[in-house]
Amino acid sequence: MSSRRPVVTGLGILTAAGCGVSAMWDALRTGRSGLGPLTLFASPRYGRHQVGQVRVDVDQLARDVRGSRSDKLAWIAAREAILQSGLPAPATGALAERTGVLLGSTVAGMLGTEEVVGALLRENPQSAIRNPQLLGAEEAPGRLLRGQSPRLTPLRYHECASATDLCARRLGALGPTATFSTACSAGALAIATAAGLIENDELDVALAGGADSLSRLTLNGFGSLLLLDPDGCRPFDAARAGISLGEGAAMLVLEAEETAHARGARILARLSGWGASCDASHPTAPDPQGGGATAAMQQALERGGLPPSDIGFVLAHGTGTPDNDVMEARALRRVFDGAVPPFASVKRFFGHTLAASGAIQAVAAVQVLREQAAPANLGFENSDPKIGLRPEREFQSRQLQQVLSNSFGFGGNNVALVFARADALPGRSPGAPLYGKDGNYGRYVAAGVPWRSPRVPLAVMGAGLVSAGGDTMAGVRGALAAGGVTPSWLESAAPFALGRLRGYSCGDFGADEAIPAARRRRLGRLQQMALVAAKRSLPQGLPGSLSPERVCAAIGTGLGCLGETAAFVENMALNEERAPLAGRFANSVHNACASQLAIEFNLRGLNSTSAHREISFEVALWHCANELRQGRADLALAGAADELSPYTQAAGEHWGWWDEHAPAIRPFGRDLTGRRRPLPGEGAAVFALARGDQASAPPARFQSVHFGRFAARADGLPEAQKEAAWIRESLERDGVPLASVDLLLAGANGWPRWDDACREVASALSFLRGEEVSLGAYKQVCGEHYSASAFGFFVALGLVGGQIEPALCLAGNPSAAAARSPRTVLLYTLAPGGSHALCCVCA
Amino acid sequence: MQSLTDELKGKIIQALNLDKITPTDIKDDEPLFGAGLGLDSLDALDLVSMLERDYGILIQDMDAARQAFASYRTLEDFVQRNRV
Repeated sequence: MSSRRPVVTGLGILTAAGCGVSAMWDALRTGRSGLGPLTLFASPRYGRHQVGQVRVDVDQLARDVRGSRSDKLAWIAAREAILQSGLPAPATGALAERTGVLLGSTVAGMLGTEEVVGALLRENPQSAIRNPQLLGAEEAPGRLLRGQSPRLTPLRYHECASATDLCARRLGALGPTATFSTACSAGALAIATAAGLIENDELDVALAGGADSLSRLTLNGFGSLLLLDPDGCRPFDAARAGISLGEGAAMLVLEAEETAHARGARILARLSGWGASCDASHPTAPDPQGGGATAAMQQALERGGLPPSDIGFVLAHGTGTPDNDVMEARALRRVFDGAVPPFASVKRFFGHTLAASGAIQAVAAVQVLREQAAPANLGFENSDPKIGLRPEREFQSRQLQQVLSNSFGFGGNNVALVFARADALPGRSPGAPLYGKDGNYGRYVAAGVPWRSPRVPLAVMGAGLVSAGGDTMAGVRGALAAGGVTPSWLESAAPFALGRLRGYSCGDFGADEAIPAARRRRLGRLQQMALVAAKRSLPQGLPGSLSPERVCAAIGTGLGCLGETAAFVENMALNEERAPLAGRFANSVHNACASQLAIEFNLRGLNSTSAHREISFEVALWHCANELRQGRADLALAGAADELSPYTQAAGEHWGWWDEHAPAIRPFGRDLTGRRRPLPGEGAAVFALARGDQASAPPARFQSVHFGRFAARADGLPEAQKEAAWIRESLERDGVPLASVDLLLAGANGWPRWDDACREVASALSFLRGEEVSLGAYKQVCGEHYSASAFGFFVALGLVGGQIEPALCLAGNPSAAAARSPRTVLLYTLAPGGSHALCCVCA
Repeated sequence: MQSLTDELKGKIIQALNLDKITPTDIKDDEPLFGAGLGLDSLDALDLVSMLERDYGILIQDMDAARQAFASYRTLEDFVQRNRV
């Protein structure tokens, strides 16, 4: 009996149908839709639409939580799940280190951000970002932001990672913690990722789920795509005319079976299978043939060792758009070879809750298994010949062992989950190995033996870069040798009248040559940066021998396509919701970069977008490494991209993140005032990865990637000794002795507090191994941004490859001994939000 | 009529970010989508947005617009008839 099998021990949910699992179940049992009028905010254009708005007083229920509506929804659901699981909150000691939080988020704090942007633009319409599509917005300097602190507060909770960090702080989680933003499948991807971490023995307990509030952006965005049904969605019905937007949160406590047994926790259900795929077909519409959806479902069944006939019920994605429902029906017929089990979409109960929807369906699936009864597909009346399948029309008692739940997102990001009854036995083990040539993962699962991630090194086959310091290794070396890049004055900060700020801009990064005009015209700047970097990582293109299903991609982005998002939101605010910009909405999702790469190179494996502040890149790297190690992919593209924006410049300067007086970033620089701060930057980097044991003569390898949260001191900085111990343990788990480390490459950025934190960790590490560890830095070249560690990875490759001398990275660090020519470099990332990550690059 | 043609073609180019295309490249009777300019469904939605912003034409159902988007000439006729 595999003791690492993931089991569910806690559920929490908050939707338009009510607060808590019992309210949700009551709605499903009685067939009561939660759709109703929109009262959360005024919408001139869509105000009369039926929406799935949460009606309980969220502010009151969330009590002392400071954060966005999404944050509050998330915490209310998380609190219920934690309570049911019996986990101590906050956890302490060993349990804390083995507990993580994995959430999906798409809207995040957008509702608050819209209010800030709207208020600022009403006061001064001229201040909009230069955007030719805006009505009457001339380019002229405004006078915004400065001295308006209370009104800017919502911007602090704008990011996807906000809810995750909130839940992690309150749960006391110190294990792997990350946020995914693959649009409508994000919650399901977070659950699948948590299961993978548990199975790999990287986590014992995970809080996993998703949360999203309603927002003007999503309402107008789906409206601009003509995908809203004003009267409420009718999934699978002949007259269906679109989705109803909803909001909510749902959380599961997932844990290894052995942990649940040891704690004496009650097992509610099991997560028996999960699968992820990409359509690689269109930014917003599903692949009409349903190939990606089919692949995700099949993978979930395979991973669970389940024949399709074991599935007793399907919770369909069933959004109620004309395209999705036809596509999904086609995919269901393919997976089940015509014998489609009873199925229903619950979207009319809750509305389409975007990143939360996969998690809401997961909670519903567990309840369906526990109650042995399944809901009706509310809103369905007449069959559509184009669909050819009828969903269930009545709530009914059923005998169920396994329930499948589908989530499909923009960019063709598909995830399928299979839940099983608590007393279900492991899958009936198919005879042949499941994945890869050696099939090790499949054999483990089939035999019910605990799976431990093997220490297979991963090969870096190619690296592509877009940065302020150039796009080649020679360029980066030159920039490091010059002591860093001299940042340019940022033109785009002018509308905010902030005084002048320098930044590390990529300028003209060669998009004109790299991307044909016909394709470029539809892409935002960040998508172009990511695409150019990806093309540089694969100068020969993808080898033709690869099967598209066996190539995956994961891109980290802290803030996504800010330029596109800002254009959409500003246009909406200035024009009072008239003439919404559909193309901009399609590009505004965080996964717009990863899904563009999939379309460009036809990548149909896992397509992940991680959005977790400074460690977004490392999370993406982990996802790719995991797919390669488990033998589900032969090649993976891992990377990260973030762009400069007047909003991050303005907000950052307002809160003192940036230093308007600093000429450049000088890591470890002498600063007697203690007031020095970094400067903003941007960049993209993409790496082509393969399994080290299958690649011939790779330019470099990486052995290890770990992420999580650090134990913080009272002042918010990490406890250096604990950091050093975490680094040593993480490396040892991957068979890398601490003694072999030649250089610690850290995200020092000239902020004295942060540079000192890096130094303290380096000294603690030196103490631990009895020999000094050299400490290097890289942000003097790329500037401070959420994807900077991807640039750091590029530098690390140059260091172990002998193209960059270690002395060039030592910056002003006076304590660093001149390193020998490094063979092993540790890329170490700390984030002020409490995250840390580690990546070991070897020659 | 000529002035509307120049204006509308200019607005199509701007709304769809068709850098390298000039108004004369948009042939009156060639299909706008698929072949011809090679536009796709997202372009259609951006055209819907442009028609609303610049001509006050509100399109809430793509089926209604499909005929209008058949070629440049049908689009111009549609604008002529429906502009406010």
